[in-house]
Amino acid sequence: MAVKTVLDGVRDAIHDEMKRDDRVFIMGEDVGPRGNVFLITKGFLDEFGRDRVIDTPLAEASIVGVAVGAAMAGMRPIAEIQFADFIYPAYNQIVGEAAKIRYRTAGAQTCPLVIRTPYGGGVRGALSHSVSVEALFYHVPGLKICVPSTPRDAQGMLVSAIRDEDPVLFLEHKRTYRLIKGEVPDSEFTVPIGVADVARTGKDLSVITYGLMRHFAVEAAETLARDGIDAEVIDLRSVRPLDRATILDSVRKTRRALVVHEDQKFGGIGAEVCAIIAEEALFELDAPLRRVCGPDVPAMGYAKEYEEAFMPNPERIGAAMRELAAF
Amino acid sequence: MDIKPFTAEPIRVLAYDGTPVENVDRLGIGKDDWLKMYRWLVFARAVDDRGYILVRQGRAGFYAQIAGQEASQVGSALPLHKEDWMYPDHRSQGSMLVKGLSAAEWFGHVLGKMLDPTQGRLMPHGPGRNDLHIVPPSSTVGNKITEAVGTAMAQRIKKRKEVTITYLGDGATSEGDFHVGMNFAAVYQAPVIIFVQNNQYAISMRTEQQTHTKTIAEKAKAYGMDGYLVDGNDILAVYLVTKHCADKARAGGGPSLIEAYTYRYGPHSSADDDTRYRPKGELEMWRTQRDPVTRMRKFLETKGLWSEDQEQKLQADVKAQVAKAMEEAEKSPAPEPITVLDYAYEQLTPHLEWERRELAAELGV
Repeated sequence: MAVKTVLDGVRDAIHDEMKRDDRVFIMGEDVGPRGNVFLITKGFLDEFGRDRVIDTPLAEASIVGVAVGAAMAGMRPIAEIQFADFIYPAYNQIVGEAAKIRYRTAGAQTCPLVIRTPYGGGVRGALSHSVSVEALFYHVPGLKICVPSTPRDAQGMLVSAIRDEDPVLFLEHKRTYRLIKGEVPDSEFTVPIGVADVARTGKDLSVITYGLMRHFAVEAAETLARDGIDAEVIDLRSVRPLDRATILDSVRKTRRALVVHEDQKFGGIGAEVCAIIAEEALFELDAPLRRVCGPDVPAMGYAKEYEEAFMPNPERIGAAMRELAAF
Repeated sequence: MDIKPFTAEPIRVLAYDGTPVENVDRLGIGKDDWLKMYRWLVFARAVDDRGYILVRQGRAGFYAQIAGQEASQVGSALPLHKEDWMYPDHRSQGSMLVKGLSAAEWFGHVLGKMLDPTQGRLMPHGPGRNDLHIVPPSSTVGNKITEAVGTAMAQRIKKRKEVTITYLGDGATSEGDFHVGMNFAAVYQAPVIIFVQNNQYAISMRTEQQTHTKTIAEKAKAYGMDGYLVDGNDILAVYLVTKHCADKARAGGGPSLIEAYTYRYGPHSSADDDTRYRPKGELEMWRTQRDPVTRMRKFLETKGLWSEDQEQKLQADVKAQVAKAMEEAEKSPAPEPITVLDYAYEQLTPHLEWERRELAAELGV
């Protein structure tokens, strides 16, 4: 097994799938000679040529719209939105078109498309390079949404996304790109979409999270373990479909649940997770549901103080875990 | 016939009264093609008329008539090859019928029956059919341009020769997607035809309220693309211009914009009242002096190819075909309520499985 970064995992998934299947191609801003702003597609243009590494005009609506039309005609496009904050002009193409194609044709037409985009904060990206967009798309049936956070999951889930018959919004937390390293199998492998990962097993409480927060939650759990608090950490990995069974199994075992995400609390993924627990397992809980999430402001500010005040961190998560365990 | 982009006047083969203004013996299409075109015009109008009656009978919830635009639709669909891709807009049933959608399927669509290729999911704007390479329209106009460009790009990447045609109205040219789609198509020389049916109204808004340019065709110039202004009620002209653009795209010559200047007779849809915004006499003038079906019939008569007997026989044949198609559609079953959950994804998600159990219990199935 090789040790890779999340960035390596993403690159290798795209590269290997383009090599395996000539229907797969990538399109987006600066993916050609520039090799993507994070150098994910470095060298791709030389290897795969102009027809399969398409530098697009600067218009997100056409990046996704063109990819949708190509997917319907039998291709496997990977449409790259340079930063999730720029995805809004493509909203109609994703929500109004891609997500509805199978349904509106009673299965006759499909849209096997991956829309990849870096999201999330912790890089001083402020209001237009830090946002989390998962909740904006979470309400959209027909769409799948991946939020991997380890090199293995990023690579294995991206391969699954490319091979999936339905449109997948693939959100890559940009802070994890170079920060998170881990072992990745050398031979071909996939990680299924819709299956959560138990990042740490424990018996005293369940922390349900995803993205960069998975790593913060595991860090907090290790700190608490020294004081005898044994927390379970569930990394959702995909927020649509949502792995109800793993969430409920964990909560029924630990009887306490904390949801953690960087995105705002109000109307966020955690609201649905809490609703599922409340509908299915309310009387099996020993403590009220808790959430540690971003505040209800438009985005995190540029100043370091604002960024830190916005994002949950291991200390803040740990404090909530301690309170919940003691309830 | 020399087909030139950016003409001041619409490209025309037949004058309003059906008299040829070009040498029709040198168009590369002959007697059989002319007769076929006329039959399609009559058929499209008859199917559409019958479809609209369903609304008045209270059996359909919505309808957008094509009446007045038959030549634009039939004339632009006839030059397409079987494998070419079509993105109709919300008023394109004439084009879809020519591409291969059956009248029975159209009526099934209007009635929301299982015979409808969408199985009762889409409102009667058009159902699409994947095997015929027809993509169903969306009511959010304009966004099909980028998708059509993508389908055209796919043919290019696969090194195939199929072209893609996308239909839109004059109103949709104001959308941002018109601009980004035109631009992308031109930059990558995608084999696509962007076909604007300028029927002069976007619901109640006149073309001059959508754009300050004299024509829509001239917008193509800004993208480095050819734009053709054609008389949309002259089926011979529409056919020739569309064929010219399709041939060009197939040969690697890139995209074209076509503006077919036409007029709709009906309201925007069955939910609209067009008497509130049309100037007096305008509709009557188009109906009586510029009708696309009458114009083609007059042309055939002047060529000695059409008689009153033939007309009566055609009308009777078409009437019987339409009645048979309607009968077939009426016999088609309605969708089962439990299937409301099907086709959101390839497989049911855990959440949908949970919902399915609840709905099945409620429905007792």
